[in-house]
Amino acid sequence: MIGNLPSDPHPWSERREAGLANTTMRQTLGLVTRRFSVGKRRVFAEDPEQEAARRLGVEAKRQAIANLDSLLDQFASKVRSNGGTALMAGTAHEAVEAVRSIAATHQVKVVVKSKSMLTEEIQLNRGLEAAGLTVLETDLGEYIIQRAHETPSHILAPAAHKNRQQIRELFEDDAKTAGLAPPVSDAASTLTQYARERLRREFLQADMGVTGGNFGVAETGTVVLVTNEGNADLVTTLPRVLVTVMGVEKLVARWEDLTLLIQQPAMNGIGQRLSAYTTLISGPAASVAEGPAAWYVVLVDNGRQRLRHTVYEDVLSCIRCGACLNVCPVFRQVGGHAYGSVYSGPIGVVETPLLTNFGVGAELPSVACTMCHACKEACPMEIDLPGHIIRLRQEKVRRHLNAASLTASYHWWSRIWATPRGYRWSLRWARRLQGLYQRQGRLVRAPGIARGWFQTRDMPPVAQETFIEWWQRHRGGLDRERRS
Amino acid sequence: MATVRLFVTCLVDVFRPEVGRAAVTVLERHGDRVECPVEQTCCGQFAFNAGYRQEAALLAKHFVEVFEGDTTPIVALSGSCAAMVVHHYPELLREAVIEERGSVKEAEGWAARAMAVGREVVEFSQWLGQGSPDSALGTVGRQRLALHQGCHMRRILEETRQPKELLEQQGFEVVELEDSDQCCGFGGTYSMTEWRVSTALADAKLKAFQDAQAGGAAYLVSSDLGCLLHLAGRLRRLGAQDPTRHVAEVLAGEEDRP
Ligand code: SF4
Repeated sequence: MIGNLPSDPHPWSERREAGLANTTMRQTLGLVTRRFSVGKRRVFAEDPEQEAARRLGVEAKRQAIANLDSLLDQFASKVRSNGGTALMAGTAHEAVEAVRSIAATHQVKVVVKSKSMLTEEIQLNRGLEAAGLTVLETDLGEYIIQRAHETPSHILAPAAHKNRQQIRELFEDDAKTAGLAPPVSDAASTLTQYARERLRREFLQADMGVTGGNFGVAETGTVVLVTNEGNADLVTTLPRVLVTVMGVEKLVARWEDLTLLIQQPAMNGIGQRLSAYTTLISGPAASVAEGPAAWYVVLVDNGRQRLRHTVYEDVLSCIRCGACLNVCPVFRQVGGHAYGSVYSGPIGVVETPLLTNFGVGAELPSVACTMCHACKEACPMEIDLPGHIIRLRQEKVRRHLNAASLTASYHWWSRIWATPRGYRWSLRWARRLQGLYQRQGRLVRAPGIARGWFQTRDMPPVAQETFIEWWQRHRGGLDRERRS
Repeated sequence: MATVRLFVTCLVDVFRPEVGRAAVTVLERHGDRVECPVEQTCCGQFAFNAGYRQEAALLAKHFVEVFEGDTTPIVALSGSCAAMVVHHYPELLREAVIEERGSVKEAEGWAARAMAVGREVVEFSQWLGQGSPDSALGTVGRQRLALHQGCHMRRILEETRQPKELLEQQGFEVVELEDSDQCCGFGGTYSMTEWRVSTALADAKLKAFQDAQAGGAAYLVSSDLGCLLHLAGRLRRLGAQDPTRHVAEVLAGEEDRP
C-alpha cells in the first residue's frame, strides 16, 4: 500500500530560502549537529565493544525485516496474550481512525503523548483534535514546537532549530495563559523545570497516553521506548488507557537482538552511552501490576511493506537515530523544515518519496544532496543512503520528473563527449562562443544548465590549448613510439 | 622505472591544463615514464550523480574502451573521478546494459571489463605515496598549506593519509581546515542546479580557509579540481585572488603562478 505523508504546500525554493534566511536556526543547528557528531565518535572510541554489538544488531534487524510477516503475527499474538490489543493499520488514515475509535470507546478527553515521529507522520494530533480531544506533548522538544505551532525540524531533537531565548519567550506567553510563574532565565534547567511544572497538572488529568515505539520484541510482545526525559514513564503509567503507535518495521525477533540495538539510538544520535530512560511496556495493569487498565498497539504500515524485497529494503532498518542528519551538509544549511514533510536529512530524502511513491518529496533526491557520502559513513544501520539517492534520481529520469531542458542537456552532452571527435568539436565551439560570456579573462555567465553556477561564481574560460592538445603537440610521439 | 597512463579528467584538460603539465613534471621526476591516451574524454560522473544512467554509461563505456587491455597503472588527477571508475563503473554498466539491452550476459561482460580497468586506477598522490617515503620529487616545500580532502577521496576511496603525508615528506606543512570533513558544496551539476545551497557551503568552507590563512596557510590544496574550481570561482566573484592549487602544482613547485 502506498503511504500518506504530510506535505508542506510551499515549494522547495521557498522552503530552502526560508531555511537559508533563518540565521538563528542555522547557527543552532550547526552547533547541535556538530556536538552530536563529535559525541558519537567519542562514545564509539571509548567503547569498542559497542561496535561489535552494532554489527550484530544490523544483522538482527535485516533478519527481522526479512521475516516481517511471521514476526508481526508473533508479536500481535504475544501482545494479546499479555492482555493488550494489537491492531494493524495499512495507511496513516486507518491508523488515526483506530486511535480515534479507541478514544471514543473509552470516553477519553485529554491525551498526553511522548515523543513519536510516527504520530507526526500520520498527523495524529490533528486527527484527535478534530474529534474534540485535547492533546499534549510531554517531551520537552515536542512541547516547545507544539506551543509554537510548528513541526519537528530534526527527528531526534524536534526543537533543534530554536535557541533558548526563543524558547523562553514561548514559555513566557504560555505562562500567561496557564496562570503560572514564567521561567526566570533561559538556562536549560530552568526551561525544563518550567515545562515539568506545567505538564505535571496535565498528566493527572489525562485519560489516555500515546507513545511511539523504538523497538518491538516479537518473542515477548514488549514495546521499548528510549527517551531522555522520563516523560514516557509517566505517559505509560498514569492515564487509564495507553495506546502505542509504531511502524511495522520496528520489530526485532528476540530479546537478545534488542540488547544489541538498545544503545544504538542514543550512541549514534546524541553521543550518549544510553539514553537516560528506557521504558518497557509489556501489558496493561491486570498483567503487570501497575499501569493503564487497557493497552493497545497500533502497527502502522503506511507504505513500508512495499519496500520489502526491493533494493530499498535496508531503509526499513532505520532506528531514527538522526546521525545522518547531524553530518549532512545540506541539512545543516537549510534545516529540517525545508524538507517539507516529517523526515528530514538523508533518511528523509530517501523515505519521503519512497513511502509515498513520489507523491510527496519527489524533488528531494535532486535538491537536497551533494553526494558527499557523509551519511553513509555515519549510519549505524549501514543503510546505503547515497546509493539510494542516486537510484531515486535515476527513477526520476525514468519517470520524466526532471525539467526537460536538464534531460536534453545530459542527452546531448553525453553523446557528444562519448567520442574524442565530439569532445574536441564541442571545445572548439566553446572557444568560439565564450567571448560573449567573459569579463577580464574569466567566464562570468553561461547559458543552459550552467547558468546557476555563474549566479555566484566565476570560471576560467576553456583553455586555448587543452592538456591533451598540448600533449599531442609536445609528447604525441612518445605514445606512437611505444605502440609501434 | 614504471610506465603510467595519465587519466587527465575533463576539468583539468579543459579548464586547468597547467595541472596536467605539472603532473607530468612530477611523475617524471618520480622516475615514471608517462603516457597519455589521447582519446580519453570524461568519466561521466556528472551524469551518473545526476541520475542519468544511460548517459553516464555511454561515457563509461568509452573510458573502458580507451583504457582496457593494458595493465599499466592509470594515474588519475582527481580522487573523485578515480572513485567513479573504481567503485561505480561495474554496477553502473551492469545495470545500464541490462536496462538497455536486457542481456545479463552482455551486462556481466561490461561489468567485468570495467572491473579490470578499475583495478589499475590509482589517484595521483596515492600513486606517488606508494613508493619509499624518501623518493625524491625534487620539491622543496616551504609553505604552510591548507588541505581540502574531497568527499569521494575521503569516503569512497577511503583515503585519509594522502596527499597529506606526501606533501609533508616534501617539506610542506599541512594544516586541516576547521570542519574539514564537511562537503564544500560542489557536487557536480548540483553546483549549478542548486546553486544557493552549493554557494552557502562554499562560503562555509572559505570561512574556514580564511582562518587557516590567518594562521599562515599560503594555498588551499586539493586532489580534486572540481572542488577547487567551485571555491576559486566563488572567491574570484567576490573580488579575491585565487589561492587554490592542485596537489600536482605544489609538488611541481609551480604554485606561484598569478
Ligand atoms: S538512516 Fe541511519 S543514520 Fe539516519 S536516522 Fe536512520 S539509522 Fe540513523
